Amino acid sequence: MTAPLLDVCHLTHVFRHGRLILRAVDDVSFQIQEGEIFGLVGESGSGKSTVARCVMNIYRPAKGSILFQGIDICDPRQRRANQKLLQTKRQLIFQDSASSLDQRMTVAEIVAEPMAIHRIVPPRGSLREEAKFQLYYVGLGEDCLDKYPTELSGGQRQRVAIARALSMEPALLVADEPIASLDVSIQAQILNLFRHLQEEHGFTFLFIAHDLAVVRYLCSRVAVMFRGKIVEIAPTGELFRDPLHPYTRALLSAIPIPDPQAERSRPLPPFDLPAPQGVLTEAAPGHYVLRSP
Amino acid sequence: MSALLDVQDLSVTFHSPHGLVEAVRGVSFSLQAGEVLAIVGESGCGKSVLCKSIMKLLPESAQIVGGRILLKGTDITGYTEREMRRLRGRAFSMLFQDPMTALAPTMTIGRQIGEAVLVHRPRLPRAALRRRVAELLDLVGLDPAAARLCPYALSGGMRQRSVLAVALASEPSLLFADEPTTALDVTIQAQVLDLLRAIQQKLGTATVLVSHDLAVVARAADRVAVMYAGKLVETGTAEEVFYDPRHPYTWGLLRALPARAREGEPLYTIPGMPPSLIDPPKGDAFACRNEYALAIDYEEMPPMFQITDTHFAATWLLDPRAPKIEPPVGRWSK
Amino acid sequence: MSTVLYCLKKLAAFAVSLLVLSVVVFSIARLAPGDPLVSYYGDRAEKMSPAERAWAEERLGLHDPLPVQYARWLSNALRGDLGISYKYKTDVLEVIQGRLGNTLLLGGLGFLLIFGLSLLLGVLCAWFEDRLLDRWICRIGTVSSCVPEFWLSLVLILLFSVTLRLLPSSGAYTIGHAGDPADRLRHLVLPLTVIVLGHLWYYAYMVRNKLLEEVRADYVLLAKAKGLGKGAILFRHCLRGILPSYFSIIAISVPHILGGTYIVETVFSYPGLGALAYESARYQDYDLLMVLSILSGGAVILCSLIAQAVNERIDPRIRAGEVGPLV
Repeated sequence: MTAPLLDVCHLTHVFRHGRLILRAVDDVSFQIQEGEIFGLVGESGSGKSTVARCVMNIYRPAKGSILFQGIDICDPRQRRANQKLLQTKRQLIFQDSASSLDQRMTVAEIVAEPMAIHRIVPPRGSLREEAKFQLYYVGLGEDCLDKYPTELSGGQRQRVAIARALSMEPALLVADEPIASLDVSIQAQILNLFRHLQEEHGFTFLFIAHDLAVVRYLCSRVAVMFRGKIVEIAPTGELFRDPLHPYTRALLSAIPIPDPQAERSRPLPPFDLPAPQGVLTEAAPGHYVLRSP
Repeated sequence: MSALLDVQDLSVTFHSPHGLVEAVRGVSFSLQAGEVLAIVGESGCGKSVLCKSIMKLLPESAQIVGGRILLKGTDITGYTEREMRRLRGRAFSMLFQDPMTALAPTMTIGRQIGEAVLVHRPRLPRAALRRRVAELLDLVGLDPAAARLCPYALSGGMRQRSVLAVALASEPSLLFADEPTTALDVTIQAQVLDLLRAIQQKLGTATVLVSHDLAVVARAADRVAVMYAGKLVETGTAEEVFYDPRHPYTWGLLRALPARAREGEPLYTIPGMPPSLIDPPKGDAFACRNEYALAIDYEEMPPMFQITDTHFAATWLLDPRAPKIEPPVGRWSK
Repeated sequence: MSTVLYCLKKLAAFAVSLLVLSVVVFSIARLAPGDPLVSYYGDRAEKMSPAERAWAEERLGLHDPLPVQYARWLSNALRGDLGISYKYKTDVLEVIQGRLGNTLLLGGLGFLLIFGLSLLLGVLCAWFEDRLLDRWICRIGTVSSCVPEFWLSLVLILLFSVTLRLLPSSGAYTIGHAGDPADRLRHLVLPLTVIVLGHLWYYAYMVRNKLLEEVRADYVLLAKAKGLGKGAILFRHCLRGILPSYFSIIAISVPHILGGTYIVETVFSYPGLGALAYESARYQDYDLLMVLSILSGGAVILCSLIAQAVNERIDPRIRAGEVGPLV
């Protein structure tokens, strides 16, 4: 087995707020192999976005290490030495493309901006050609090039955000709830796009979501986060077939069913579970669950 | 018996820099007391505008250009702001998508609920007011001690409950819930829906539940109306719409749900984009995204075809002359 | 946190800020070029021999190194001795005493008027957003805020004092009528008008725009949906939301308005602190300058502390120190 693309080891991040100390991420470890879509699922406040921000060097973790292509990005010296590589090879896609795209720039400018910043000579002649190519990649036509984000629909804006991230040909795309604010019918389009990018072009994703239904279709492996800890990691099929942690089971049964009779009689799972404790132990090959030793 | 709310052929337009937006185009529906009606559609289909136009909460650029709104048999279409104010809160009230911004940030929950109580009972003594606020908080499943907290101290689910308490303060007979669960975690969504359902059963409040997600409304809705490009394209009881959908758009919405996806298969997506509501197409607005579209769909708007006493759909596929098509979605099974 | 502890904390912050301010003003004043002896001895200073100068400097305590001078000033000041004015050759407090009341009257009244009127105008504009009244208020505001203060003062003097002979053009009171409130008021009308017109619009615009931002928030829709009227929403919800930022800005603007009074005081020959402060800085009248700086600095710090305390009462999020969601 080759070395993983991303190796997160015992990551801990603490928010201090006056006397209040909040362990947003508590001893989290996982690996992402090249070419896979890794899902990270949890409720708001579970720490999943904090993990993403640590991976992107937005937060500095209190403890633990994050290896990206063998570079320890938590080590300031190694980070500085590989700054350019890290900035281009990791890209972030946000939930709210309405506010993460500059309203005063055209789509062409937004998509080509990373190349301009890193002074990459555009292989297709001009930055505009480059933007056109990236838009084609994500399924948008040339007519979008000169539009402003406000003139686009939510789904189109999210495609522009993805095109911008792809323009650097990143090794890892971190998508922080990229479809949470989209309509169901548009969600499906964006999910298919992610799938296409992974299958046809071999991109690697860290895909963050609060909804297990979405992850099931897209991800090869899923980690479930609860109160700052990963309670279960497993290949997607196995997680859905045989969830071991009570929280995973509760999350699974929270997926609404498009069937009125079944849905009305579906009991509400208990969510007031105690704070997770224990260590990740391997229950089946590749299937880890948090258990008290 | 006359319906609680009867909307007849309602049309609403907006002035925008690009032209006149026909946000709601000839919508008719009625709602009985104590009933939960879900209106489902993509963003921009006019479902929020429909609710806000009934409560007259639209910005000044919007205008009701046709149709009538009857509340308990009284025509309220031409009501002035002053007359509407007397109805708001008591006759109908509203829940919003984002509970984070729906509460005034600088006032305690208790004061905001109390204010809503006082609107229609201005001479209520202090002690009685405090009792009523506690009662309301209890009704929505919050600790009455929460009255002293400000919104920032509450979680998303608790905020949505507080908004519900505000909305229920004057015991409205009709509640509009505009995407009440969209901004909440999956785990809390079902709780809020159950709460809405419980309150509807306890107080007999009729509810219009607006959502973009069909799966979410399955839990709470008695009837479902599917809206597309400013028109209702299919209405029926929840069972009829979920088990025997007739409109191709409803099929598309059901097929696109990630919960329906099988491992390894691509998700179904409805091709194309909803049409612009500035100068909408003259035929069926869904025709160009519809794989089953007939030639007539591009020419003439389909009327509402009746399928059962309660089930209607606006598609030419229901015309006796149309070819028979096997619907691509059936009953959902695990 | 107990109230006593809270007050003590604020007081300590106030004292430390004043100390820092005094060090800064003290050093800048002494390091700036200029001859303080001129201020004390007038023209004679230029004809002094080096020996005479040395003696004079020693007498005024100017020969010591800066830290020593500062330490002496501080220990004297803490005992209540703030030194003498080189120019007026009397205790600085005496010099200020005669003028403090005048400035407080003019600046304080101007401040209150600006504070109240801009709130009123802003609310009016927001209420009638984009209607005729709103547009006209905005238009008048744009024009009048572009008029320089000294020019406006001259025009007003020309019109009301010279042509119409309705109002006095200078001074704080007519000689011999110092205790007559009506006479004082007549002298205040013109300077006050200039001060208020010069600052009013800036704050009124701010209130208007902040209010309009607030009116578009979701919670206004909920307030409307529960049946609340426009007035109740605007005053009880929206105004409350914008007041914290308004108070902070108004508090910070104290020196701005005080500074504005200086020009006005000069044009109207109004015997206030503004003119005095300018003179003391120009003629190296060190002790007077120190007192005036600390006085106005103290006023600013005090105002922002008060604003902070008031804001914490209005908006509980500030007290909780909420900086945004934690996760």
